[in-house]
This record gives sequence, structure tokens and C-alpha cells, in this order.
Amino acid sequence: MGASELALPARPRGGASLANQARVYAEFIRVGFVNTLAYRLRYYTGIVTYFIYVSIYYFIWKAIYEHSAKIEGFDFKQLLTYVAVGWIIRSFYYNNIDQQIAIQVMEGKLAMDLIKPVNTQFMYVAQALGESVFRLALLTLPTAVILALVFPLRLPAGALNFAGFMLSVFMSFFIVAGINFCVGTFAIRLKSILGLLRAKYFLLELFSGLLIPISFFPEVFQKALAFMPFQYISYVPVLIYLGKLQGLGIVKALGIQLFWVFAMLALGDALWRWSSRRITIQGG
Amino acid sequence: MKRHLRLFVLYFAQYAKVRLAYKADFIIAFFSSMAATVLGFGFVLVLFTKIPKLQDWSFYEILFLYGFSLIPLGFFNVVSWNLYEFGDLYIIEGRFDRILLRPVDTLFQVLFEKFRLESLQEVATGIAVVTISARKLNISWHAADYLWFVVMVASGALIYLAVFLILTAVSFWFEDRVGIVPPVFNMLTFGRYPLTIYNVFIQFMLSWIIPFGFASFYPTTHFLGRENFTIYFHLVPVVAATFAMLAVVVWNRGVANYSSTGS
Repeated sequence: MGASELALPARPRGGASLANQARVYAEFIRVGFVNTLAYRLRYYTGIVTYFIYVSIYYFIWKAIYEHSAKIEGFDFKQLLTYVAVGWIIRSFYYNNIDQQIAIQVMEGKLAMDLIKPVNTQFMYVAQALGESVFRLALLTLPTAVILALVFPLRLPAGALNFAGFMLSVFMSFFIVAGINFCVGTFAIRLKSILGLLRAKYFLLELFSGLLIPISFFPEVFQKALAFMPFQYISYVPVLIYLGKLQGLGIVKALGIQLFWVFAMLALGDALWRWSSRRITIQGG
Repeated sequence: MKRHLRLFVLYFAQYAKVRLAYKADFIIAFFSSMAATVLGFGFVLVLFTKIPKLQDWSFYEILFLYGFSLIPLGFFNVVSWNLYEFGDLYIIEGRFDRILLRPVDTLFQVLFEKFRLESLQEVATGIAVVTISARKLNISWHAADYLWFVVMVASGALIYLAVFLILTAVSFWFEDRVGIVPPVFNMLTFGRYPLTIYNVFIQFMLSWIIPFGFASFYPTTHFLGRENFTIYFHLVPVVAATFAMLAVVVWNRGVANYSSTGS
């Protein structure tokens, strides 16, 4: 049956009130949290994995700094902190909404999402947030403690920087969630999504600044990337942490980040509306 | 053997038809595969705009290493598709029952039921990158070198396959995957750097535990004229054969241990 015959999801009856809505999405956050509990084991391997990643990048950067004391304003110790903090916050903001949508499509369960009287994107984002809160406690914090013990990491540049950093990382989550929802929605109509997901994975790793600071890129790239949301995922939060952004610079960066949060979520919403009108559910 | 070869051709032709039936889909898959290849090397490309050398390895040497690693990886990616979904599709959904009913080797069927055709792009890109960097480095190729090159590519692909087969076979015992495959897959990248930059522990890990170093770094040392790795270079086929045998043993044990979900 064609989805054009499906009525668009209705708003909860009698309760378009904000409190009611909030309760619904709070429940999704809880579900995401509880679901993740079932996969606790993954987070123990996760800690080891993140530790290995940072260790390997430690050696790669050490080799890089063999010939120079400072590159683009970063000395080795700063860069080490840059890399470690980047991976630590990744363990929080990361989610795989795109993969989840792909699995729903493959298993023919997307219809279940369509009949729920909620905003589909907010539902996925809320569940992912529950998962991220879980990871914050079981993956992000232990990883941060272990890395800080093993490597000579720098502390945040100041209390204000730390506060700005936390706020920034919180928004990173929404930018990543928005991007992933867009990719997942785009992939609904593809038969094989794995290739696209892998390309997105490498794209985010590189252009978010996780692997290498954006200031290392050739100027043309830097100028182009300034108009994209990617560097606000990792580069900007870590710059705030390191104190390379200060005072008004932090406020401005957070403002642009907030813009990208809304822009990506709006784009996701538009893409979903556009493609959910074209979905064909097999059988059922 | 001859029957398996014929079956392989039939499987491949059949699957190619299926994939090419959705042309737009295939084109998107092809270009995203291409993008992933380029982006995967973005780190090093950006880096070398800032530094002249990584330890004593020049840009073209690193490029050669990266290009080479793409070739076995491409071949591996073509057949590895089913391995990622093995736990979910074959064990939990019980599709493995069907495999057991057919009078063809189980491993053969699982590997060759699906092909990721677009990954052949990686093989082509790898060969192009190796050719360009070999020219820039003025590497002279003797007749034997071409033979070595083929042996190294085959060994590399076999190592990737063996490592992921072992990890996949774990699903025969544990239905809930520990989530170990994605991080190991991402570690592939680390074998693309000269192992000399790492400390002893990581060198050991990338050589003997997850032997990605034997699939990318050691094979190139001979062509790059690094004589101090000659022993490791000659060990590459041995390591590949050993891990492949280990993988087959683990796989067969897993198959023997398999009990259907009964659906």
C-alpha cells in the first residue's frame, strides 16, 4: 500500500500542550536509556577501544611533531589534549540514528514509526539522547579518567571555558543527531545504505576536526568549512576547552552552533516530510 | 574445485544483475565508496601540507603504503558484506538453516551470496595510487617484483578476511555481539602508517594479535627498499596462511556448534 493513503501523523489529542509533549519525549529518552542498558557489555569494550584510538593517535602525532615544535599554534601537549578531548566528547555525542532508520527500513518496520502520533525526528533524537546520557556515565567519564591518568592532558583553560565547553558539547549532540537523521531519511529509498554510511563516517571524522584541527587545512577548505556545520561538532568545543576561543569568541561560537542545531533539525524535518510521502511499505 | 569455480561465476553474475537493476542506487553506492576512499586519506593529505616528512617517511612513501593497502582491502570488501550482518541475518533470523541444507561449503555460500561491487573501485584506485607514487619515488620493478606484488595483495586480502571471519564466527556462540567488529574495522587505518612510529606494544598488537601490519605495512617495505624489514616481508604469506587456517578451524567449530533458532 502506498503511504499516500496513510494520514499524516496527528498530534496527541487534547494535549498539544507543551507539558504533555515534553512528557512524551521524556519517555522516549528513558526508553533509549533503558534499551542501552541491555548492551552494557559494549561499553566495557568501548572504553578499551577509545583508549587504543587515543594511544595510536598519540604516537602518530608524536612522529608528526618530531620535526617541529609548533604547528599552526599547537604545541604537542596542546595537540594531544585536542585529540584526547575530541575522542572523549565523541563518546558522548555519537549516535547511530541513520543506521537505526536503515534497519527499520530493512525489517519493514518503518510503518510503525509512521503511525506513532509524534514527530518522528524528535522521537529518534530523544531516544538517542537517552543513549548518550547513559554513555556519559558508562563510557565518557571512565574514558576521560583513564586518559587523564595515562597521558599528560591539560585542564580546561578556565571555569568559564569549561562551562562553555559543556554547553557546546551538548549542542554537538543535536547537530550530529540532525545530520544522522537526514542521512537516514535520505537512505530510506536506497537498497544498500552501508556505503553511504561509511562515507558519512569518514566525512564527519575529518571535517568535524576530530582527526586534525581545522586550522591545519588549506585556506580554501577552511573558508568553505566555515559555512558548514561540521566543525561545530568537535573543533569548536575543543577550542573552547583549550582556551583558543575566549570571551566574546565563545559567545559567538555558541550562537552559530545554536543556529546549526535548529538548521539541521529543520532540514531533517523537511526531508522526512518529503520522503515519508513516498514510502512504500511492503506487505504488512 | 571446478564446481565451486562455476558456482562462483554464477553467484557473481546473478548478484551483479540484481545490483545493476537499481542503477541510481548503484551509482550512489559507487560514489559514496569513492568519497570514503578519498576522505579516509584526508588526514594524511592535510597533514603533509604542514610537515615535510613523517619520521623519515616521505609523502610519496606514505602514499604508496596507502595505495597498496587499498588493493587487498578492496578485494576483501567485495566479499565481506555478509560478514557484517551475519549475526543478525543468519543466526538470529535462522537463515543459516538454508545454508546447511545445500551441498556446498557453508563458508563459500556466506561469502559469495552478496558482493559489494562498488568496492572494486578501491582496487582500481589503489593500483593508480601505487603506480603514481612508484613513479615519483623512482622505484624500479623487476620481473620478480610483480609476482611478489600479487602474492602480497592476495596475502593481505586473506589476512583481512581471516580476522573478520574469526570475529564473525563468534556469533555462533554469542548471539549478542559484543560490538567488537566496528572498532577492529576502524583499526584497519592504523596499519596504513609505518609501524615504526608506534611503540613496541602497538607494533606487537598490529603484527601478531590483529595482524593488519602484515596486510599493509610489511608488504610495502620491500618495494620501498627498507631492507631491515626483509624477514617480515617474507613472513607475510606465512602469517596469511596461518591466520586463514585458524579462521577456517574457528568457523567449522562454530558451524558444528550451531543450533537453529527453530523459527
